[in-house]
Amino acid sequence: MIESQEKSKTSGVAKWFDPRWRHSGTWAFILNRVTALGLTVYLYLHLVILRSLAGGPEAYDGFLATIRSPIFVFGELLVVIGGLIHGLNGLRIALNSFGIAVPYQRQLFYGLMVIAIITSVIFGVRMFTA
Amino acid sequence: MIETRSAPKNGEGAWLWMIKIFGGVLIVVILIIHLIVNHFIAEGGLLTYADVVRYYSNPIIPIMEISFLILVVSHSLIGLRSIILDLKPARSLLTAVNWIFAVVGVVSIVYGIWLVMSIVSQGSA
Repeated sequence: MIESQEKSKTSGVAKWFDPRWRHSGTWAFILNRVTALGLTVYLYLHLVILRSLAGGPEAYDGFLATIRSPIFVFGELLVVIGGLIHGLNGLRIALNSFGIAVPYQRQLFYGLMVIAIITSVIFGVRMFTA
Repeated sequence: MIETRSAPKNGEGAWLWMIKIFGGVLIVVILIIHLIVNHFIAEGGLLTYADVVRYYSNPIIPIMEISFLILVVSHSLIGLRSIILDLKPARSLLTAVNWIFAVVGVVSIVYGIWLVMSIVSQGSA
């Protein structure tokens, strides 16, 4: 949907944040892009950092001790929130790509985002209290 | 938003687009399995190096992780490329992006498989 519809309007990154065409589709589009970029940065950072697994128990357990500090847990929570938004909104795009539930995608988008918010809160509470 | 559908954009072949869409759905499925296995089935979670090595000794895990790696890396690079396409790059820039992304993709996947295998070999050693 958004991908093809908004294509003509997006000539630069700044336009993602242009307030003149903010409909729910625009929000879905912006959220999808911002989370995509965040998750991409995380993915390659994650792959590089996991190198410590090849360094044996000392390297890896030392790394695990570092990432238990609240700042890293907060970063992980951002990844979880980004993943939920991107994954759930992505399911809508996948359905939409094959012509399923196309007339209801606004409702679908809002419903999925409610699920994303609720699940994010559950993750946040568990991650900071565990 | 109401009646428009998602489709491949100019410069994005139908195959890449299909891989991105189906890959995305598969990533969601594997992530759910991954969360359930890691947090509910693995006793007490995977909190030490020894836990991770033991976890990888079940052959299903490395297979799942390598599939996940290939799917996520492809999805991220095809997706990043489609964002770049929206910024209307010059032909020469796009060609450079195609090559760079292909190399990054192959290197990441080979590196990831090497990493998985090094953990598996720790378990069997």
